Amino acid sequence: MDPQGLLDIYTGDPGFWDEMRIGSEFREPYRNVVHALKLLDVQSLQQKEKLASELFMNQGITFTVYNDDAGIERIFPFDIIPRVLTGDEWKIIEDGLKQRLKALNLFLKDVYSEQQIIQDKIIPAELIASCPHYMREVAGIQVAHDIYIHISGIDLIRGDNGIFYVLEDNLRTPSGVSYMLENREITKRLFPELVASSRVRRVSNYPLLLHEILLSLSPAQISNPNVALLTPGIYNSAYYEHTFLARQMGIPLVEGRDLVVDNHKVYMKTTQGLEQVHVIYRRVDDDFLDPLIFRPDSALGVPGLIAAYRKGTVAIVNAVGNGVADDKAIYAFVPAMIRYYLNEEPLLPNVETYEMSNPDTRQYVFDNLSRMVIKRTNQSGGYGMVMGNKVTEEEWSKAKKEIESDPRSFIAQPIINLSTAPCFIDGKFEGRHVDLRPYALCGPSGIQIVPGGLTRVALRKGSLIVNSSQGGGSKDTWVID
Amino acid sequence: MLSRIADSLFWLNRYMERADGMLRLAATHYIFSLDKDAIRSMTWMPVMEIFTDSEEEYLKSIENNTEACLKRLLIDTTNTNCLKTLVNRARENARGAQDHITKEVWEEVNQMYHLVNQPALQQKIDSFLSLEVMEPFIKHTVMYAGITDITMPRGTGWCFMNLGKYIERCLQTIAFAEKQLELTNFREADTNDLLQWKYLLFSLSGYELHVKTYRSSNHNYNVLHQVLINENFPRSVTYSLQRIEHYLNKVIGNNISEERSALLRCFGRLFSKVRYMELDSLNKDTVPAFFEDIKTDLVDFNQKVVQHFFSYS
Repeated sequence: MDPQGLLDIYTGDPGFWDEMRIGSEFREPYRNVVHALKLLDVQSLQQKEKLASELFMNQGITFTVYNDDAGIERIFPFDIIPRVLTGDEWKIIEDGLKQRLKALNLFLKDVYSEQQIIQDKIIPAELIASCPHYMREVAGIQVAHDIYIHISGIDLIRGDNGIFYVLEDNLRTPSGVSYMLENREITKRLFPELVASSRVRRVSNYPLLLHEILLSLSPAQISNPNVALLTPGIYNSAYYEHTFLARQMGIPLVEGRDLVVDNHKVYMKTTQGLEQVHVIYRRVDDDFLDPLIFRPDSALGVPGLIAAYRKGTVAIVNAVGNGVADDKAIYAFVPAMIRYYLNEEPLLPNVETYEMSNPDTRQYVFDNLSRMVIKRTNQSGGYGMVMGNKVTEEEWSKAKKEIESDPRSFIAQPIINLSTAPCFIDGKFEGRHVDLRPYALCGPSGIQIVPGGLTRVALRKGSLIVNSSQGGGSKDTWVID
Repeated sequence: MLSRIADSLFWLNRYMERADGMLRLAATHYIFSLDKDAIRSMTWMPVMEIFTDSEEEYLKSIENNTEACLKRLLIDTTNTNCLKTLVNRARENARGAQDHITKEVWEEVNQMYHLVNQPALQQKIDSFLSLEVMEPFIKHTVMYAGITDITMPRGTGWCFMNLGKYIERCLQTIAFAEKQLELTNFREADTNDLLQWKYLLFSLSGYELHVKTYRSSNHNYNVLHQVLINENFPRSVTYSLQRIEHYLNKVIGNNISEERSALLRCFGRLFSKVRYMELDSLNKDTVPAFFEDIKTDLVDFNQKVVQHFFSYS
C-alpha cells in the first residue's frame, strides 16, 4: 500500500489525544510532514529507518547491557516521524516551566537554609525529614548566584483534553539531551527538504548555552576557569551522552580517579602535573560524590570534594541535594510552592497525586486501583511502578505488603491517557503513547529552554511506559513557527 | 592532558598495533603453511608462542591444526592476546578517551569492534575461509592508521598514541626476528638461502624493500641490517626508536625535571646500543644476547614512561 493509503487508515486511538490526527483531518502543524510522507513509498521509508539505525550504531550512540564480560550494544530505538509542536503550544510550556523552576530553586535555597516554608506549614517537616535525598551535609552551603537547578529535564505529558501536565521533576542529573541533539541531526539526514521547509526552531546551541553557564559559575575571578564533566565511567549507561557533551563543549571528561583534593582545592591529574578544576558538571549521583561524606564504598567520587564545595573553591552542577525537590512526594506540593514563593497560580498543572502515608487516601487508592498507577518516591527510570489496570493478583498482594510497611516511599496517581503520535512500525503507521522532556538551563542571566526536547515513545502497543529501560524509544521534536 | 586519557590513548594504539602485527604474522603463516615445499614444517608453534600464553603441552597438541590455532589467535577470548580481546580492549580505551579522539577514529574502532564480535567468524574459520576473516581486519588496521594520521590533532595525545604504537612495533619486530633466529639457528652455512628469511620479511611487510635494497648474498647480515638499522624500513628497530625519541622529546618539552631527565637518559642508553652497534660483531653466539638486551631495556623504558606519565589511580 502506498503511504497515502497508510496515512489515511491511521486514525490514532479513540479516547486519546492524537498529535497528528483530529477526527478525519490532520492537524495543521503536521501539514508539511503529511505532505512529505505522502510523496514517499513504504520501501524508502524503511530504507530511511535502516539508515537511521546504522548511523546510530556506527557512531556508537548506544547504551550497553552488560552480562558476563561481553557487553551487548543496543541502540536507543528511534522513530523517524518527527513530533511537531506549534510556537503557541511551546509558549505555554516555556512559561510554565520557567515559573516552576523559579519556585523549585527558591524552595531548594529555603530548605537548605531558613526553612521558612516548613515554619509556615506549607510543607510538613516530616516529609522533608523522611526524604532520603535531603542532604543535611550540604545545609548552609552558599552556592554561586543562588542557583541550584542549573540543568533540568522536567517530564510533561499531554492528557486526552490536549492539556500539558507536569509528570515528574528531574532536577538531579537528567539525561537524554544528547538524544535530542542527535535525533535532530539524523532527521536532517533523513528528511533534508522537509526540515528546511518546515521552519523548525534550532536546538543545536544547547551545548554552547550550557558551556556559558558552567563558565559563569567559576568561583575564582580568573579569565579561563577549568570546567570538567565528571562521569562514573565507560560502564555507565549514559556514557555516550557524557562524551558527547564533553566533546561539544570542549571540556575534559574526568572520572573520580582523575581528581584529587588538596588543601580544599580540586585538581586534575595531568601528564604535566596537577591542574586546578573550578567547575564540575557532575553526572554522578549525590550518594557517590564523596566517600568521606556519603557512601564510604563509592569508588566513583572524590574524597574531600564536599569540603572543597563548602569552602567555595569549586562549583558543582547541579547542586548537591537537589533530590529533595524532585522527590515524588514533594511533587504534590509544587503548586503550593509556586503560590507561596511567587504568589502566582501555576501555569502547568500537576497530575493529581495521592500520598500513601495518609491512611484514608491510601484506602481510596486501593479501592480504585484499576484507575491508578503507584510509584516509588525515590525511583526513576520506570522501575518499581505498579500499573493498577495491568497488575496481576500475585504481584499486587506483594506490592501491597510493601506499600503498607513503608507508605512514605510510595505515591499514587490516576492513570493519565498519554497522547499518541504516529510511529512507523513494521511498514505501517501506528499510534504510540508519548511524553515530552524539554531541557531547561538556568544561569545568572535567567532560564533558557531550547525549543524542543526529547519525545519519548512507549513502543509496545498500548503501553504507557516510555522509559528507555522499559522498552521506550524516542522521536525528534520540532517546534515550528 | 589527563594522565588517564594519555594512558588510554597510549594503549589504544598499542593494542591496534599489536592486532596489526599479529594479523600480518598469522596471515603470512597461513599462506606459507599452504605451500607444499615450505622450508619450515607446518607447525604454528612460533606464532602461538609469540601471541598466546598457553601451556606448551596444549600448544603441542594443536600446533599442526590450522583451524584450532587460528581460533585461538583470533576469537578465543581465554587467550588474552587474541584479536577479539585486543580489539575489545582497544575500543574500551577509545571509549574512555572518546572526547580526545576524532569522531572518525572512534567510528573506525567501533566498526572493528562490531566486526570482531560477529558470530559468523567462527564458522568462516571452520570452513577454510580464514583469509576471508583476516583480510578485512588487516584492511581495517591500515584504515585505522590512515584515519588517525589524517584526522588526529598533533597535540600531547598524538605523542602518547605514537609512543604506544612504536614501542609496540619495536617489541614486535624484535620478537619476530628473535623467533626466526631461534628456528634457523643463524645457520651460516645456509647464508645464501634467502628463503629461510622470506617468512620473517613477509610478516614484517619488508620483502619488497629487501630485494630492492640488498644485492650481496650475505643474507643473514642483510636481514639483520634491515631489521635493526635500516632507517628506511618502517618496522626496523632503529626507525621505531627514532620515532619514539621524537615523540618523547615533544612530550617532555622544555619542562625538564630530574625524573624526566632520568627518563631521557634511560632512552638514550637504549638507543645508543642500537645506533652504535657493530653489525659484524653479531653472530650465532652474540645475537640472542643482543636482542634480549635491547628488549629488556625497552620494557624497562616502557615501565618508566608508565610510571612517570600515567600514574593516576
